[in-house]
Amino acid sequence: MIVFHAAFHDGQLWLWGETPAQSEIAVGKSGSRSSAKAKSRREKSSPYDAGSQALLAALADVTSGLRMGEDAVSPVTAWLPSTGDQPLASSPLIAEAPSADVRPALAPWRVTAIPLTSAEAVDLLCGCVDREVLGPGIIVSRDLAFWAKAMRFAGSLVARQQFLPDLEPVEDFYRARWRPVFAGADATRLSTLARAMPHACRALTPSGAGGPPTTSAQRVLDQFIGEIGDYLVRSAVMEAGSSWPKGRNGHVAESAHDQWLQALRGSDGVIDGGPPELATLAAQVCEWRRPISVSTLSPFRLCFRLEEPPEAAQGNGEAVRKRGVISDLDISISRSNWHVRYILQSVDDPSLLIDVSDAWNAKGRAAAALKRGKFNPREFLLSALGQAAGLSQGIEQSLKNAAPGGYDLGSSEAYQFLTEKAWLLEQAGFGVLLPAWWTRKGTKLRLSMRANVKSPKMQGGSRLSLEKIIQFDWEVALGDQVLSLKELEALAKLKAPLVRMRGQWVQLSADEIQAALNFWRKRQTGRATAREIVQMALGKANAPGGVKFEGVQAQGWISDLLAQLEGHRPFAEMEVPAEFNGTLRPYQIRGYSWLAFLKQWELGACLADDMGLGKTAETLALIEREWSRNGHHPTLIVCPTSVISNWQKEAERFTPNLPVMVHHGVARAKGPAFKKEASRHAMVISSYSLLQRDAAILQELDWGVIVLDEAQNIKNPETKQARAARSLKAGFRIALTGTPVENNVGDLWAIMEFLNPGMLGSQTEFKRVFFVPIQVQRDQEAAQRLKRLTGPFILRRLKTDKKVIADLPEKMEMKVFCNLTKEQATLYAAVVKEADKSLEESEGIKRKGVVLATLSKLKQVCNHPAQFLGDNSAIPGRSGKLARLTEMLEEVLSSGERALIFTQFAEMGQIIQRHLQETFGREALFLHGAVAKKQRDRMVERFQADGGPPLFVLSLKAGGTGLNLTAASHVFHFDRWWNPAVENQATDRAFRIGQSRNVQVHKFVCGGTLEEKIDEMIENKKEIAGSIVGAGEAWLTELSAAQLRELFALRKDAVGE
Amino acid sequence: MGYRDDWDDSDDSYGWGGWYRKPKPRIKARGGIKSQSKRGAFGESWWAKRWIAVLESFNIGARLGRGRSYARSGQVLSIDIEKGEIEAAVQGSRPKPYDIKIKVKTIPAADWKRVAKALDREAIFAAKLLAGEMPQEIEQVFKEVGLSLFPEKLRDLETDCSCPDWSNPCKHIAAVYYLIGEEFDRDPFLIFKLRGATREELIKMLSAGAAPGKNSETDIEEIELPPDPLATDAAVFWGGSDLADDFFGEVRLPPVSAALPKRLGNFPFWRGSERFLEAIEAIYAQASPYGLDIFSLQAEFQDQ
Repeated sequence: MIVFHAAFHDGQLWLWGETPAQSEIAVGKSGSRSSAKAKSRREKSSPYDAGSQALLAALADVTSGLRMGEDAVSPVTAWLPSTGDQPLASSPLIAEAPSADVRPALAPWRVTAIPLTSAEAVDLLCGCVDREVLGPGIIVSRDLAFWAKAMRFAGSLVARQQFLPDLEPVEDFYRARWRPVFAGADATRLSTLARAMPHACRALTPSGAGGPPTTSAQRVLDQFIGEIGDYLVRSAVMEAGSSWPKGRNGHVAESAHDQWLQALRGSDGVIDGGPPELATLAAQVCEWRRPISVSTLSPFRLCFRLEEPPEAAQGNGEAVRKRGVISDLDISISRSNWHVRYILQSVDDPSLLIDVSDAWNAKGRAAAALKRGKFNPREFLLSALGQAAGLSQGIEQSLKNAAPGGYDLGSSEAYQFLTEKAWLLEQAGFGVLLPAWWTRKGTKLRLSMRANVKSPKMQGGSRLSLEKIIQFDWEVALGDQVLSLKELEALAKLKAPLVRMRGQWVQLSADEIQAALNFWRKRQTGRATAREIVQMALGKANAPGGVKFEGVQAQGWISDLLAQLEGHRPFAEMEVPAEFNGTLRPYQIRGYSWLAFLKQWELGACLADDMGLGKTAETLALIEREWSRNGHHPTLIVCPTSVISNWQKEAERFTPNLPVMVHHGVARAKGPAFKKEASRHAMVISSYSLLQRDAAILQELDWGVIVLDEAQNIKNPETKQARAARSLKAGFRIALTGTPVENNVGDLWAIMEFLNPGMLGSQTEFKRVFFVPIQVQRDQEAAQRLKRLTGPFILRRLKTDKKVIADLPEKMEMKVFCNLTKEQATLYAAVVKEADKSLEESEGIKRKGVVLATLSKLKQVCNHPAQFLGDNSAIPGRSGKLARLTEMLEEVLSSGERALIFTQFAEMGQIIQRHLQETFGREALFLHGAVAKKQRDRMVERFQADGGPPLFVLSLKAGGTGLNLTAASHVFHFDRWWNPAVENQATDRAFRIGQSRNVQVHKFVCGGTLEEKIDEMIENKKEIAGSIVGAGEAWLTELSAAQLRELFALRKDAVGE
Repeated sequence: MGYRDDWDDSDDSYGWGGWYRKPKPRIKARGGIKSQSKRGAFGESWWAKRWIAVLESFNIGARLGRGRSYARSGQVLSIDIEKGEIEAAVQGSRPKPYDIKIKVKTIPAADWKRVAKALDREAIFAAKLLAGEMPQEIEQVFKEVGLSLFPEKLRDLETDCSCPDWSNPCKHIAAVYYLIGEEFDRDPFLIFKLRGATREELIKMLSAGAAPGKNSETDIEEIELPPDPLATDAAVFWGGSDLADDFFGEVRLPPVSAALPKRLGNFPFWRGSERFLEAIEAIYAQASPYGLDIFSLQAEFQDQ
């Protein structure tokens, strides 16, 4: 475990690491201590310093490009809040926080750090964006994450070309460099970002330096962005290969200007020699940059506010009404003028606005507000207005006054201001304030086209189908007002781009009117399949002829279908098939009916309910329904290996009448045998890895339904799995996932492309139309469109939804069937073999001992090989249960919930704690028998507190009673106890007075092992559990040799690989 | 005091004394000031053209063309501009560059005050000048007070060159004159300086300088940020605070490349062998998409 930190000093980002103090005994660390030769012995080494080996090893793990040796490392001083003789650790993962009553003070500590070049820093930070963990046990601290954000800010400045060349003296040479320009909103962003900076970002000083650093956050940030921005521009140039025309290398540059240009494109910008000439050049550069420097260093910025004409004028509509044709539209053209007002806005405090007309000869309050050091408001205003004048005629004209404060403009100019000038002014660094109805996206009224569809009658008993070709009429509308051709022509003649219609502003672009007229005169009708009409209605279609496409106006069954899809009208609730063995809760019946509704139209469905709400049961109900309706076409279920047994078990439970086949493992059916075999089953369960490997035979079947469980597995559309999934033939496709897919634009395309091919366009198109606008430009309108287009096919309900809560019991118990890994199975078999031998040889007390020891060993194997072997070996990838636990906890954490994890074994608890902390980079508490009461109370308190650690591992003995842990909404039983009462008692830790949410209880069982058999016994003998099972494990020792053999035996399908 | 050999270089050889000698080539200068205009007229702004028109009114024939060619090929080694006076060095055919002096008649202080008063009537004069542009109406304002901004007649200018050419202005003077015209594009205050008022003096005279901010010479020194000691509170020290979701605003590639340097215009008396803005613009075009890539990292769309 190592927490990566980074601080900026002396022009570079320095990486250092924090590890828990107890690992000091680890070989690498003590060795590194001596190797880092500190010149100053003044500071003590931090007890949490990772040391060079750990630091270098972790760095090599996470970045491909950064391979450094010991010589890259050097000791520096970190100024850390400390109490007594200890620095405060950054996270409880390193050390627990001291009690709150000790006031920390800053103290210097020696730590081992690596100075990163800009290239190395960018390489590392790119990996840190939006991540908490870089690799197992390599954790991104908040300070490192901050630098990743700052790097993105530098990237955005470069993208928007907010930078200028510069030349600066450095000791005895000059450096040509690219310097970011913080103009307008970027200046505000810089100071906002600086305020958000964790102080750890500037806590390093050279080893042995005097006092703690005091350079302001803004200065440090400015320097960092300066370095990174300079690097980004340079590396782009170098990558483009145009660093310097070939053949000139080695030639002496003709002038200082050549040298400068050359250095601006070089790798480090260093120019040596010619100091007097370069000094002159530096002065010239400064002079050249002057106009920009003046405006960016100003404490104010100039803003332009567009103000609407006063609404008085109802009578103004008269002139239009008289024309007659568009009298019904109630359109009025304003005669009074719009106004652009000039305003000074404070950069530090954007809410401070000063009317420019008050600023020319400011008196009283305005004068006081404008007084800022050497700031000369008159000169600033004149210079800014002079620049703006070049962008707008109106502004230029206004300058004919001695003290201009704004200018009037007519509707056409106002329209031009909204559509063009505002953007130009903004780009030039001015502020622009526009009316809310314009800036609020999606609320602008404008001309639009829509398709008017009359659903064709279905003849006889023929089934409604989306493949039906349908004819429709094109309509042109303004808002919800349908226009006639004559009205449209009259609007064109108005030549007023902004008019009021019933009190609302409407934009009437002449180009749009003309485009609509051209299109409409040519084509009054269109033809498309019902499926295309549905897609058009959901907003897929592009604007015909450049006019905004509003959607579909429909009558008849298409209208009904659209209303149901968009949630305006409920779909019919379906009867759950009689063969279905179980009761669905009301919200589950809705989910099931929704699946059936989409199935009817052969539209793919993504069921994305919260974990534990019963996606599996709803899906099984649908499969049951389809099996009898579609002529026994099998359903293919593809899921991660870790949940194959779970599907199998759930199918046994809910749909016992349906024949299920697991297509997995070495002995699986191949070639023609598979097709024959599969056709005889209602369900074929397989894994993602086989989806790709056995794609050829899976493609041969016409599947009734295909279900992709944990569908985020195909989120990368170019993987073989995703391609294979898309290539399968099916009447209906379902994707199941517990993660909020709708929020992850990048993943959405692949899943929708599987469900409803073509719906979101090609991948490139999707990237252009949705991904870039939404992710990069934060375009809310695009996000809305995407939501509208995909919403009908995604059903996501949360446990916290009112409708769902009402249906849920307070406590839901479910079993989670897991597989063994090959290693586990081998160990399991070995233990059983050894037990067979020992049992034969022993009797009496000794035999009992062997039975109990074997039971314990087998449970350990099911938990984790490392627990069984007790060898402190590697954790990831060796236990089916732990893999499943990790997957499930990922969902728990992503929805901001907390969980308790119980195990009987303290050693396993430690393994779980370590694994979870290293995987998620978040603290997991661990309570076991050796924890003192005071500490235990503190853990409980922290777990219950807001913002406390979300995961709590408890040993069943230490944590099973007495505690109040109602912050948890999930309880995991990692291994099973023979006595359900003990489990229930533990479960009740979360389910106590004060619990306001539903609690889900997940009991882990390794399928095909003794765990499953114990589970069966508990189930079958529930009523007598108290008498027999309740007595502990002793009764098991009384079983016969045959009974024991059966209990221990490992079923073939237990292995998940 | 010239040697006969040099005359051919320094002079327009045609028609001198009725006989012709092949001109001796000038010595190619290195690192001289390069004109940024490729061909055709020097200076794009009306006021630069206005300046050059004065030179061209001298009727010095082919010397103008030679002067332009000198200006384009970087024969002018240095130009120093002071109030009412320009000093320059031009590389001719002799090893030692020629010294050139151009004197412009300055306007007396009292007249400047009258001009300033007239200019103050409309904000546009000061605004445009500060934004690097010469308002066209400015000539009218000068005329109103009985003055002329640009040197109009021959006697407004006094030119001198150390070359042996008898003609004045010679092509060396012409070359310098052209380059100054180009510099006018960038800095409209230059003509005021030549007429005797520096930018600072002029601004002070305009009411811009009379404002409460006292000294009109806007120092572009950065504001010194106060020291900011480290916090001892663990949450602040290690945690920092969160940013709003829309912190970065809208980020997209600009439709027009290199808007900032274009706004600043060409570099004063550029000596590089490449054209400045062209070279810079290429860099902006390359850097911009790369910056966008770095910015958009947060949810890399898997399309490879």
